[in-house]
Amino acid sequence: MALSCFLRSVSGTNIDVNEYDLVNSAMQDDADDVIVTGSCKTNFTAQSTTEAVASPSATRNVEENTVADAHTVEDVQFQDFVEETMLVLDELKYPYQEDLRLKPLPGNHLLSSFSFDMKSESFTPGKTDLDIDQYSHYTVFPKPFKPLLERTATRQLHLRFTRGFWDAESWDTLPYDGFKSGGSGVELWAIIESDSQENAYRQWKSLANSLSGLFCASINFIDSTKTTYPVYAFHPAASEELPLFDQDKQLYLIRAALANEPVCTENLTPLIKLLPTKGKSGLSSYLDGHKVFDSIWHSLSIDIETQCDDLYGECRYSMEAMVDMVINVPNTIERVENPIPKPVEADKLRCDQTKHFDAFVCFPSSDNAETDFLFSKIFGKSIRGCDNFASSPSRVCANITDDWSFTLKVGDDYLGLDSNCFELNEGVEYDINLSSANTSSVTVLDEVPLYVSRSLTGYGQDHGGLRTVFHNPRSQPVRAIYFETLPWFMRVYLSTLQVDNTHSNGSPNVTVEDIMQSMHYVPAIDRSRPTHLEYIIEIPAFTSFAVSYQYDKTLLQFAEYPPDANHGFEIESAVITVVSPTDYQIRTATLLLSLSTPDFSMPYNVIIITSTVMGLIFGMIFNLLVKRVVTVEEADKVLAERTIKAKLLRLKQKILSRIGIAT
Amino acid sequence: MGLFETLQRKAVKLGLLPKLLAALPLLSALTAVVSVVMILIIPMNGQYRNTYISENALMPSQAYSYFRETEWNILRGYRTEIEVLNSRGVSASDRYDIVAGWLNEFGAKTAVYRNEEMGDTLYGVLHAPRGDGTEAMVLCAPWNNSEGEFNIGGSALAIALSRYFSRWPVWSKNIIVVFSDNPSVALRSWVEAYHTSLDLTGGSIEAAVILDYPSNNDYFNYTEIHFEGLNGELPNLDLVNVAVHITQHEGMKVSLHGLPRSELEKNNYWSRLKLLFLGMKDSTLAGMKKAHGNEVFSGWRIQAVTLKARGEGQIDITTFGRIPEAMFRSINNLLEKFHQSFFFYFLLSPNNFVSISSYLPSAVLLSITFAIAAVDATVNNAYASALHITYTLLAALASVISLLVSFLVAHWFLYSTTSPLYLILGSVVLAVSPLVMSRSNNALREPVCYRMRTLGYIYYSLILTSLLMLNFPLAFSIGLFGYPMTLVKPLNIYSKSQMSLKLRNSVLLVISNPFVATWLICTVVENSEFPNLDVFAALFSAWKDLNCWTWFVLCLGWLPTWLLVTFSSFTSIPAAETTIEKKSN
Repeated sequence: MALSCFLRSVSGTNIDVNEYDLVNSAMQDDADDVIVTGSCKTNFTAQSTTEAVASPSATRNVEENTVADAHTVEDVQFQDFVEETMLVLDELKYPYQEDLRLKPLPGNHLLSSFSFDMKSESFTPGKTDLDIDQYSHYTVFPKPFKPLLERTATRQLHLRFTRGFWDAESWDTLPYDGFKSGGSGVELWAIIESDSQENAYRQWKSLANSLSGLFCASINFIDSTKTTYPVYAFHPAASEELPLFDQDKQLYLIRAALANEPVCTENLTPLIKLLPTKGKSGLSSYLDGHKVFDSIWHSLSIDIETQCDDLYGECRYSMEAMVDMVINVPNTIERVENPIPKPVEADKLRCDQTKHFDAFVCFPSSDNAETDFLFSKIFGKSIRGCDNFASSPSRVCANITDDWSFTLKVGDDYLGLDSNCFELNEGVEYDINLSSANTSSVTVLDEVPLYVSRSLTGYGQDHGGLRTVFHNPRSQPVRAIYFETLPWFMRVYLSTLQVDNTHSNGSPNVTVEDIMQSMHYVPAIDRSRPTHLEYIIEIPAFTSFAVSYQYDKTLLQFAEYPPDANHGFEIESAVITVVSPTDYQIRTATLLLSLSTPDFSMPYNVIIITSTVMGLIFGMIFNLLVKRVVTVEEADKVLAERTIKAKLLRLKQKILSRIGIAT
Repeated sequence: MGLFETLQRKAVKLGLLPKLLAALPLLSALTAVVSVVMILIIPMNGQYRNTYISENALMPSQAYSYFRETEWNILRGYRTEIEVLNSRGVSASDRYDIVAGWLNEFGAKTAVYRNEEMGDTLYGVLHAPRGDGTEAMVLCAPWNNSEGEFNIGGSALAIALSRYFSRWPVWSKNIIVVFSDNPSVALRSWVEAYHTSLDLTGGSIEAAVILDYPSNNDYFNYTEIHFEGLNGELPNLDLVNVAVHITQHEGMKVSLHGLPRSELEKNNYWSRLKLLFLGMKDSTLAGMKKAHGNEVFSGWRIQAVTLKARGEGQIDITTFGRIPEAMFRSINNLLEKFHQSFFFYFLLSPNNFVSISSYLPSAVLLSITFAIAAVDATVNNAYASALHITYTLLAALASVISLLVSFLVAHWFLYSTTSPLYLILGSVVLAVSPLVMSRSNNALREPVCYRMRTLGYIYYSLILTSLLMLNFPLAFSIGLFGYPMTLVKPLNIYSKSQMSLKLRNSVLLVISNPFVATWLICTVVENSEFPNLDVFAALFSAWKDLNCWTWFVLCLGWLPTWLLVTFSSFTSIPAAETTIEKKSN
């Protein structure tokens, strides 16, 4: 019974209520059944993380009942049983691991990186679950993914939801060297096994549509005008092996991005639901949409890889889900206390004592260098229990200097460790405390190997330029892959590509030949393919220069303008992958391209004017065709015969003549 | 038998067409008069409308403004420090470095754009916490304002406001705070560099608010709003309305076009007419007059207004700061670019406006005046029916030459140091030369004179028509002041009362000369701004520094016609006489 109840709690979703009922019914049974109740109790401590709300009180109930009914059962017997069940449970660990890494950044910012790793059960390639003799458990690996990956023959899947501004100048390198964050908006790339590129695209489209439903994002807007097949960038490292299930097929690397797609709680909630803990216990209980998205920079990422063991011919999927965010700690705490950043009260003003100040004059001093806060204040929640089903316990680590103190709050106790790394093993509420007397003291990180910024230049609605500034602050030359996709309505003239040497910091002059080594360029096709540009560039030490080229803006067709309010067309960020001296990936900011937008009442005017002109022309030609051209005199003569008066006169004469004949 | 045919027959019967043709000079004068009358009608009740916010998303003053209370202390703190900087005589580059340090303190990314010729500019970008970083709003405080005064209040406000903005999480657009040496050339060179070569950028600029508070007094009286752009461009009326609405909501009086405090309460026909003419004047002379700062943003679809604190009174500086605060809150709400409301308008009072449809017809009528004059010059003379192809070609050649000459004149005076006095003198000499020309020297044939006039008027009419859509005030002004050209009468050697006719022509030509007229008018309406011949220097620098076309409109639009008309006013020999002479030979 214990085993079955445990399995259900892991694989099922709504286990909480059942479990609770089970406990209660067990308690009402007679004395012999107390053992059964006891076994459930041990289960409870083991799985308390899966069901957060019910477990503490339920456990307490069980304990009371156990004490009440204990007179019928010998203690020794009970203890033995507990140890036995624990042994059984020890074997039932699942490949799941979660981490939270904290890192204070300069300017009172804090980077929180959540990572969740999980692996699927192994499976034999080529056999789908639809086969009659095939079955599999999902355990910790999210259920929606396996059929999806099988159907679309996806070997690797990378999905990024990123938004905000990463201040590389003060915060240095991105978490995970930038390989886990995307450009502003949504970014998706995958390695798909297929027999031809058309089929690969078809599978890719199916994958995008499914992910769109899964993550409540507009990923289904990915079509051929946004899809590229990267040549240098985005390729997995050589060390990674890529399994090919069918040797007749090939692997295709396909990528697309939706610039400035709003990233919101509706994308985070599906991501949390993919985790076995579903945000109810462990570190994921911190992830509240309101708090995650109230950050300066945030990135959600999912990477799925297929790992195969050649020896046994078995494969398994491994998935990494990450949530990274940067918050400004004083602002966030202030907002919790007072949602509107009203002017501070006079007695709380912090003035610079070295400058003139009095009751009326206050030159603000630099930010408070002291800080002391609990994470429950920032995230609005505390960590509810641990994940005992996981193969390794949840870990919380902080990357801090000696000026900081990092403690774990369990109940009312604060625990500290020299390693600044805690493992959460118990089913109790945890909270994290960070304090420092000097917040400006942060751990030194690697300097960013390369700064890249890109902007649109030019004047008017007709043409413009794109200018990318590269700046190498280091003493070593940097080799990087520049990857850029531009929509088809930007007609790029690669012939205008040139290097402008910015002399701001005395950097040496370079020419295009000096720096560009290899270029891959796929020109756009109207309405079906984007411009795809990749080049390998080497930036000499302490050099900055700008690569620029010109483009024309195309007129769109009437129906191609977005139907709702728009402020221009989003241009996705360029991706720069540094390959030497270190591995690093950066993305530029997205751009806003304003195309000449017609006045949309214009078609109406055009229709009216065209119809009028057509009517006039038709009238004239019709008249010319069916009427005779006569002189004014002739016309007058004809007119004289045809007026009603003339007709009446003729009628009168006729009648008169008739009468005249009659008479 | 259609109605049109009946009318046409009636017209033919009554001989209307010849009568009409005979009355063309009168008709031409009439259209000019009607055109002016139409402008005079606009400020009458019922002809103008009340302003309204067209874009619903803007919602000005709907959120409570919190730039008050202790923010005032901080503002004073920054102001005191700026005063210290100023009194210590810190050099321009050092002072920007110090201010950049203050901006960095609250998270702004700063850079100084160095331009030795035009002046340096410090700017800082506050990245929107939740925006996509593709759009920006500019808060600008020139270190010295348009009058050359030290913009101490404005600079302190810009820093204090940026610090205050940095605490708000609501921004969907980046905020760029800009400090430049002066609000004209230095700021313009920064705007140009922003769109070409700056490394630190914050996305496309949607709107700019320039703060001008040139005093260290905490109190002021009323707010001036300046909005006219270069080359007839205006910011979207919605932005101006938002600025006016917020200013009035905060309890301040709004002054447009520099109206003095005593006239702000008035709203009658004469006050509206005054504001209409001031609007036309300011718009025509934008770029030539001392720039307030909003002018320099023209050309990149940036909507810009300048807020200027004036006088001494009861209203405190944080109230002034709440105008940009609430404006930024409004602009921040925009999902699209400014596109609702009007881009062509005149404000008759802060809360009344006329749109382009009301005033455009008067400029159209003025261009028709010249078209009629052209028809008159073609048909109402002895050479109307005959097909004098040689004469027409000669006239066309003359037009091309006058255009070339105008082009050369435009560039010569723009890039050489020749005094513009010669321009005026040359024009006057040319205009009076028919008076002193001896009769025997005349080689001009009369039909050529008429053809030259036709081509000249047609050209002017075309120039006016194409200009009136872009720059109504300029088109209307040059149309009105060029009108005397149509009154110049041609004369041949047989004309009676030659001397008085010649004198009349010369006077008309002098007053309708583009340079003389510009100089006269600017001296009359803006004597303080353009003493002596400064107006020409202003025209040249407006083109060189701000890309303002007015000099070229004068030279390439007005001067060729004037030259053609001037040459046609020389005493000519009738065509018949020449043929007789030829025969006798």
